[in-house]
Amino acid sequence: MVIEIDEDNLKQGLLGLVVALVEVIQEALVRQAMRRIESGKLGPEEEARLSESLADLDEALENIKDENDIKDVVKSVTDGLTEVADVFLNPERWAEELKKT
Amino acid sequence: MTETEVTQEGLHKEGRYIYCIVNGHEKFAVRNAGLDNADVYLVSYEDIGAILHACPAKPYESKEENKVKEWLFNHNNIIDKASDTFGTVLPFSFDSIIKGDDDAVVDWLNKGYEELKKELDRLKDKAEYSVQIFCEPEKLADRIMAQDSTIADLKEKIEKMPKRTAYLLHRKFELKMKDASHAIMVKLAEEYASLLMKHVEEIKTVKVHHVPEQFKDKKLIVSFSCLVLKDNVKTLGGTLGTINDLQGYAIRFTGPWAPFSFTKIGEI
Repeated sequence: MVIEIDEDNLKQGLLGLVVALVEVIQEALVRQAMRRIESGKLGPEEEARLSESLADLDEALENIKDENDIKDVVKSVTDGLTEVADVFLNPERWAEELKKT
Repeated sequence: MTETEVTQEGLHKEGRYIYCIVNGHEKFAVRNAGLDNADVYLVSYEDIGAILHACPAKPYESKEENKVKEWLFNHNNIIDKASDTFGTVLPFSFDSIIKGDDDAVVDWLNKGYEELKKELDRLKDKAEYSVQIFCEPEKLADRIMAQDSTIADLKEKIEKMPKRTAYLLHRKFELKMKDASHAIMVKLAEEYASLLMKHVEEIKTVKVHHVPEQFKDKKLIVSFSCLVLKDNVKTLGGTLGTINDLQGYAIRFTGPWAPFSFTKIGEI
């Protein structure tokens, strides 16, 4: 089977995948940061610095998506990952799937 | 492939595409209105019948989206026509084909008669309606914040901070709103279901794949498929009207449809 590859599509797809993965990592960082703040171990200045760093990362990712026109690709990868996570990490969903079979 | 299978295949070159099962045996024939302009007619057994057209015994398949849409339109159109003539019908899903000729259909109706007749009687004078309840997102947010002061306080705090410094609090606010919004929608859906239960025979929560443009700026709280007795449609409409009149709410009420979501036919 011959696979035809369009260079622009490849660039968009690959970049979209990378950005989507960085977004997943960013989401994990945000939740970790929230837990650290809620634990009360951080001072106000550290809290502000952490928040600003994550805000900068968020802004950078948004810029990359805008400049490369990959918002839809990233969304599609993220939605796909959410769906997979929902199936594998959600016991209620397992029960539903079992009922169907 | 074994020799027997080849022979079996040969036996069933012919097929019948089934649209629905009806109560009654009045004459029913619609020329050129089925899939690919097929002539649609009724094959009856005792006092029930199948609305169908003759076709090869293989599924309708096409890679062209418009072709499939056209087939689906034809399929539903025939079901509507049959419902006009016979009252409530048992609708079949797209691409239900019986192998064999009209006699094979009669055999099949004979075999499934009791179950089909029971189901036709159960659904008599009832139709399916779709109810979608929408709310303006701001209205929902106001309601959440009125119920949970910690979320309202968080919002106030964020508004007083520089945007970047408030990033994490803003994300926390979004997560809390998402959870609260989910909880309130589950509660509202239960409330509406019990409110509508008074006017319907059966109710099901369903997923919605398409929301019309006029509701796009609103949040879908819940979508129901309801099995409704014809005599109760007005009172159901009245109750939905009172919800629709609430500020910030909107209802999409469509039907009557053939009872696709409520027809229970096992293996016949």
